[in-house]
Amino acid sequence: MKIDRDEARRVAGLAHLEFDDAGLDRMAAEMTKILTYIDQLNEVDVEGFEEHDATVTPLREDEPRPSLDRELVARNAPAWRDGLFVVPKVIGGE
Amino acid sequence: MSDLLDLPWHEGRERVSPREYVDACLRAIDAHNEKLNAFLHVNRDAPAGMLPMAVKDNIVTSDMPATCGSRILGEFHSPFDATAIARLRARGAAFVGKTNLDEFAMGSSNEHSAFGPARNPWDPSRVPGGSSGGSAAAVAARLVPVALGSETGGSVRQPAALCGVVGLKPTYGRISRWGLVAFASGLDQIGIVTKTVRDSAEVLDIIAGHDPLDSTSSIEPAGDSAADLGRGVKGLRFGIVREAVEPLAGEVRENFDASVEVLRRGGAIIEEASIPTIGYAIAIYYIVANAEASANLSRFDGIRYGHRSKRARTLDDVYFDSRGEGFGAEVKRRIMLGTFALSAGYYDAYYGRAQRVRAKLRHEFAEAFRSFDSLITPTTPEPAFRIGEKTDDPLSMYLSDIFTAPANLVGIPAIAVPSGFSRAEGLPLSLQIMGPHFGERALFRAAEFFESETGYWKHSPLPALRGEG
Repeated sequence: MKIDRDEARRVAGLAHLEFDDAGLDRMAAEMTKILTYIDQLNEVDVEGFEEHDATVTPLREDEPRPSLDRELVARNAPAWRDGLFVVPKVIGGE
Repeated sequence: MSDLLDLPWHEGRERVSPREYVDACLRAIDAHNEKLNAFLHVNRDAPAGMLPMAVKDNIVTSDMPATCGSRILGEFHSPFDATAIARLRARGAAFVGKTNLDEFAMGSSNEHSAFGPARNPWDPSRVPGGSSGGSAAAVAARLVPVALGSETGGSVRQPAALCGVVGLKPTYGRISRWGLVAFASGLDQIGIVTKTVRDSAEVLDIIAGHDPLDSTSSIEPAGDSAADLGRGVKGLRFGIVREAVEPLAGEVRENFDASVEVLRRGGAIIEEASIPTIGYAIAIYYIVANAEASANLSRFDGIRYGHRSKRARTLDDVYFDSRGEGFGAEVKRRIMLGTFALSAGYYDAYYGRAQRVRAKLRHEFAEAFRSFDSLITPTTPEPAFRIGEKTDDPLSMYLSDIFTAPANLVGIPAIAVPSGFSRAEGLPLSLQIMGPHFGERALFRAAEFFESETGYWKHSPLPALRGEG
């Protein structure tokens, strides 16, 4: 699988990662090399083997329980005011 | 003092008071950590405890910071203890520090730590392995008797092998992951680094078992892991994984053959086993693990905790700039690969395909365990490599997990136990024993037999380490 700069840019956008053009080219080359190795999976006959196994994760009862102490959460927040996380305006940039 | 820390935990704890045990660890850390960089944080206020431990820095504690070896977590302090930590605390553990790791546990050498690599106590110019390199180096250098690590594709066994200590990857679901920072949730499992097999079994029994806070933790009964220690291997059936061992040459092969002889002399039945798909494990792993990582690591976005870029003006800037500044090159590479493998048009060809080959691998292991109690390989294809040797070639780095990654993909337990030293450089070599799901007790039985016959765990790297100073 060959990854070019435009494809690397598309993936970086999906992943919320930013690279300059040189960084995109380097990433594209590394991804191409690794995906070429991974392409050997196409040699394997997987007839009869499914993507998901049948085991199911058991779920607990949906009962109320104490949540995290808000003060301890606030201590880790980059920006916090009046019990809320502060972020830049979502609409209209600045 | 050094005598005390040369002992395994189950002997050391009988010798001294809990205060003396913890203080001896803190003094040893002060003496050697500057050279080893095994600890990212030392807890000088650690309380007295009959189980002094180090904790890989992707497992959270309420009394120490957690960095995950990354800059993106900033000054993060967890509001809570991981379940494994809480259970250990209740049984008298004292946490003396957080150990170095590849960023978010992504790496096989510790060189991807944002805080510089931990170093191998047997030769500080070499890697300790990864990603739990700090934990393995700390136990090998006699800084602590026990350390927790984590495994996604061999991250406890591989560094344990390279540092000459015992590394356990329990069955998927054996230990609660509550408080283990997620890398690939379908593979992640907390692991244990110790000097001896008995210590490993005893620590597993403290932390194993269902936890309501992790719905993937198993309800399978846990405990009595040490019950069969000392029973030997007479009559047990070991399968040598042909596809893994046959291509090996040189010293690693000779050492493996010698290890097989030790088991054979103990009365074990040794035959060849076949896992035809095992050679595809790394290819499967780097799709499945990175796909899951790309989703898990989306939580590091500069909003609720960790690093937020000072440049950011818009909400999108907060995401892109905080992640761009906070993540290192290897983490970005893996997020990119995982995002690609899950993206529209490629999902079936990559993620779906990898999962189907993984199902085939799982089937082959299940078939093999109908004929064998255990499967054996070397833990790693080579001893510790030099710092810098593989950093320019991610793929060659990935291949150092070729024998360890299969157990994670299949969910089975596996243990790495020291098997000797390379002749020229005196670097540790290691035997890997894999067992069926929830078969830890039998793994410990076999590993302890091997350990008691060979005694490699008694060798200390400290004379060599001091000689360098």
